[in-house]
Amino acid sequence: MAMMTVNGVSTHYQWMRAAGDSDGEAPIVVCVHGLGYDSLASFYLTLASPLSAAGADVLTYDLRGHGRTARPPTGYRLGNFIDDLKAVLDQLDIHRPVHLVGNSFGGTIAFGLAAQFPERVASIVSIEAEPATESWAGKMGRTFRNVYEAMADDRYLEWVGQTFGSHYVRLTNAATAAIGASTIVEEVALGPLLDADTLATLQCPVLSILGSHGFQSDDLGLLQASLPRCRTEVLPDQGHSVLVERHQRVRQLILAWLAEHESLGQLESPRPA
Amino acid sequence: MTMSLPTEASGYDETFDEVCRILCRVLEVELDDLEIEPESVLTDDLGLESIDLVAIGAMLADRYGPQVNLAAYLAELSIDDVIVLRVGNLVELVLSSGVAAERAVT
Repeated sequence: MAMMTVNGVSTHYQWMRAAGDSDGEAPIVVCVHGLGYDSLASFYLTLASPLSAAGADVLTYDLRGHGRTARPPTGYRLGNFIDDLKAVLDQLDIHRPVHLVGNSFGGTIAFGLAAQFPERVASIVSIEAEPATESWAGKMGRTFRNVYEAMADDRYLEWVGQTFGSHYVRLTNAATAAIGASTIVEEVALGPLLDADTLATLQCPVLSILGSHGFQSDDLGLLQASLPRCRTEVLPDQGHSVLVERHQRVRQLILAWLAEHESLGQLESPRPA
Repeated sequence: MTMSLPTEASGYDETFDEVCRILCRVLEVELDDLEIEPESVLTDDLGLESIDLVAIGAMLADRYGPQVNLAAYLAELSIDDVIVLRVGNLVELVLSSGVAAERAVT
């Protein structure tokens, strides 16, 4: 496994390099996974191979507290995750603007990086995700705590086993144990938060991929209305698990997105000194 | 999700043994401590998680070369198919690339 120390945390990452000879100038796609069960595998085993075959260098990594990355007891503010993403780019000597693909909380991290370091971001593909606004913080705080408490409930576990099988019961128990051993529930919604004025300054192009009855089903057009360069794709009959359940459709959308934006990103990005 | 089996039956056994060794390395157990059959489901029977598939893919590529591309294979499956993936599917992935037969004669 490829490991590096990021802000003091031993971090698992994986490259899948572009097929063919790109002379080191292949577009770079950085995938950021979500919370809980998630790990770099949700991208590595779905999108990474087709994107690399199409000519992109694809980087995935496990967030702190997830996958094969270490699980510190504290340090789970959104700001910590944003700092980690920037440090991953710095340590891998990635200075060209990258295309971020963020799933759920991973998208929130991506928006955070774009707000703080716009020169590092060529575009964002946001899968069932939103920036860290006051509204997000409220929802995140309530939802994460409710989900965490439910995960430990025997009746919930019984339902998971009957509905999804024993594999998901094991995943739930593992996630519950990992979450309970850290301060992630208390910290993750603490920001930094972005206000409407800041969102209006995010100049990178954004593709928002949403499930028709996912986490933004109450207002599927809200994110697009909040950002100056955002387009929305809604997948019908789909809940929050867009990436895992519809990864081949997501692949099509991202490939089209990269074909549309990659030359734009390379032409308009500031050259490194 | 089935793949055509090669004609070299002995290649299957050798490849199965090698896949088992890789699985035991990932699970950090001794080969004798785990009962593995071609029909063993990676998740339910062996307790493997999706993150483990990343390591398995890397080990298969190290052993057999980049032609054995587990990530590319899984990218064409649904999540339901990945959850019921069996040891035999990994063996067939290796054999369908032709590398095991090549190594058997070199």
